[in-house]
Amino acid sequence: MISVTPKPLASQQEIRDLANLTPEQVALKIQNLNLHYGEKQALFDISMLIPKGQVTAFIGPSGCGKSTLLRSINRMNDLVDSCHIDGEILLHDENIYGKHVDVAMLRRKVGMVFQRPNPFPKSIYENVIYGLRLVGVKNRRTLDEAAETALKSAALWNEVKDRLHESALGLSGGQQQRLVIARAIAIQPEVLLLDEPTSALDPISTLTIEELINDLKKQFTVVIVTHNMQQAARVSDQTAFMYMGELIEYSDTNTLFTTPTKKKTEDYITGRYG
Amino acid sequence: MVNTMKKSIKLKTSQLMNSDIDKEQNTAMNNSYKKWFQSGSPWVWLSAAGVSLSLISVLGLLWLIASRGLSYFWPATIYQFEVNDLQGHNHTVIGEIYDRESIPVGQLVHTKLKFAPDTLEVERILVKTGNRELVNLDFRWILVPQITKITEPKNIVVIERRTNGNFYGFITKVILDGETVSNTQLPQLIDRVDNFQQQIEELQKSDIGSINYQLERLRLKEKKYQLNHQLTIKIKHEIDAEIEALKIQYQQLEQKLTSMRQQVARDKIEVRAMNGKVVTINLENILTVSYANKLNLFEKTGVFLQKIGHFISDDPREANTEGGVFPAIFGTVLMVLLMTVIVSPMGVIAAIYLHEYAGNNGLTKMLRIAVINLAGVPSIVYGIFGLGFFVYMLGGSIDELFFPETLPSPTFGTPGVLWSAITLAILTLPVVIVSTEEGLARIPASMRHGSLALGATKIETLWRIILPIASPAIMTGIILAIARAAGEVAPLMLVGVVKMAPTLPLDGNFPYLHLERKFMHLGFHIYDVGFQSPNVEAARPLVYATALLLVTIIVALNMTAISIRNKLREKYRALEH
Repeated sequence: MISVTPKPLASQQEIRDLANLTPEQVALKIQNLNLHYGEKQALFDISMLIPKGQVTAFIGPSGCGKSTLLRSINRMNDLVDSCHIDGEILLHDENIYGKHVDVAMLRRKVGMVFQRPNPFPKSIYENVIYGLRLVGVKNRRTLDEAAETALKSAALWNEVKDRLHESALGLSGGQQQRLVIARAIAIQPEVLLLDEPTSALDPISTLTIEELINDLKKQFTVVIVTHNMQQAARVSDQTAFMYMGELIEYSDTNTLFTTPTKKKTEDYITGRYG
Repeated sequence: MVNTMKKSIKLKTSQLMNSDIDKEQNTAMNNSYKKWFQSGSPWVWLSAAGVSLSLISVLGLLWLIASRGLSYFWPATIYQFEVNDLQGHNHTVIGEIYDRESIPVGQLVHTKLKFAPDTLEVERILVKTGNRELVNLDFRWILVPQITKITEPKNIVVIERRTNGNFYGFITKVILDGETVSNTQLPQLIDRVDNFQQQIEELQKSDIGSINYQLERLRLKEKKYQLNHQLTIKIKHEIDAEIEALKIQYQQLEQKLTSMRQQVARDKIEVRAMNGKVVTINLENILTVSYANKLNLFEKTGVFLQKIGHFISDDPREANTEGGVFPAIFGTVLMVLLMTVIVSPMGVIAAIYLHEYAGNNGLTKMLRIAVINLAGVPSIVYGIFGLGFFVYMLGGSIDELFFPETLPSPTFGTPGVLWSAITLAILTLPVVIVSTEEGLARIPASMRHGSLALGATKIETLWRIILPIASPAIMTGIILAIARAAGEVAPLMLVGVVKMAPTLPLDGNFPYLHLERKFMHLGFHIYDVGFQSPNVEAARPLVYATALLLVTIIVALNMTAISIRNKLREKYRALEH
């Protein structure tokens, strides 16, 4: 059902050089990002460009800071009291850690899907349009259309179209995760952050989600954290390998997995540790 | 000799062997005992015993108040006793048996009664004889040996009256407008009087009551103008004209009332009491007439249910010792509902602040400890606080600001249902805060994160996600608050409960809900009827009946809240991992 076809060569070559993207190709620009949890430093001087309309994967052993880095992009780390961040993340040339940034607005532009499916205890329909209700959309028709589009994009429409008003908690784990993705894309974000989205799912659901990720990059910039290297290889266009809070290597996926330049990367992808 | 030696040796060995066996048995017993202990079954038995003990005490309590309370409504058999008294006179006593007990003969020495030589105890019975206009006491003790004859005459009637309690006797005459008619007409005549009585009551309560209320308002209006120095002649004339109009209306109603009263007073009956005296009773004074001894089981059940209905829906009579308890039921429920409406938002908001916004520092910890300790303050202390702060300070200020025209008689500056509800809300606040906070703490962080990641602010997340999920826990807090508040009496005696409230806090006069009024409460009613009434003996079953009713109402209130909570729980059950 799912094809792990090689990515089109043309698009890869376009952005082969990740250090020198044209401004139009950049979705996010991370500059000298240092992050502390209290005394402990979790991220060390991370700088990278995340290209637009592509899937970027963060891989690395547990505790390497890949999830922390992902959460910095939509400021979910703000919820941790002891968290302190230096450096910049630029979205449209604006630092998201700037003084006058509206965090809620930022999170509308940078959506996020978590490790475990977390649908709200509401109906499927209400879950999908939650973000729209927040911004005050009341028109029934607009909401209906948005829900349908989002559910179709998340490849869930056919399964739930007859029970939109039943509780979302009655869905299976894989369906719930796709519902959560639908919920995130219903508000049309620019960037979609996926934090190990398949780690709590069975293999079949995992394949469905991976296929979905391939479709999603047509509309959104996708950043995915995964502990599964095969998954990173299957779904991403470029991959960043992180170790102990540092960005060790960042290049297009084929290069990273076939000819890694750093010793640590090679050790990791050949399974010496992790 | 050798033989004996052998014998003794044999004996010794056998003794030795015996003791060995004993030891083995002992250790075996020890082992099995230890095993039994380790298996945990003694604890199972112990906890089972604990559960059964609590179950038995709850059921025993319910059985006691239910049996004592409900027997009050069951139509009792009326006996006619022929008694030979101390002076050797014969006389007749009619009434229902209320109680019986045995007393030692020694107590009866002064009566110079002669009993069989080996009698130690004598039984005596307490008879409710009613007929308060003929004898001073409703009850009298009769020694069983003095009774010469007991009968249950079928034609004895029990007449329940509006004043003077029950009358027991035989109907001799029914008089319709001065003419004697057949006894069979009596039920229709009583129905007719009942109809008129109801109309009169309606007229008095709603029509005349409303005119009185309007007159009072006009008087206050005039006084208000006076206080503000705005009372012009024109306004004065207007008010006077209105008062005149109302007075004319009042006179018309009064005429109507007088004519109805005459109608009601038309018929009477003559009844022969136990001592042969004939008493005339006006039908307007009669509530029911029943031939208690003629009733079969089915009819008795009917009367039983009817009496319960009257108990629940009627106003009290005769200093609360007779009639119903409707105002007390109404007061209790209204006060508890008001309390719930006040305590729920206060408690939830406080819990949200403590859990979501307050920093995790020493001050917050102190606040939490203070809240928990509040639950341990004796309720009468809350009563004192309510009286001092709410009634006198707050109520007094409200009176000065908004109701200066009624002063010096207070409006809000006196105990009332509002102050009672607020006082109990403070009393139950800790319960709501603690259980709401626990509910908030149980919500998985993923719910918050999910909402925040979709661009919701903290307050939006609270309103749309957190509070709905926490609603079962909030309901639990409310259930506990209701359970505590509905049974509370002590503080209410200081802040609003009275023995007899002339009007309900809810009526047809604007603004309909009169929160400043005093009210009646079932808990206080129990105390009042049981310990403050002139006729304690008669009131005793009423105490049990009222207690049963109070328990029923609290259970009903709780059941409603529990069913709401269970519905909410069902909705969010999948979240509880």
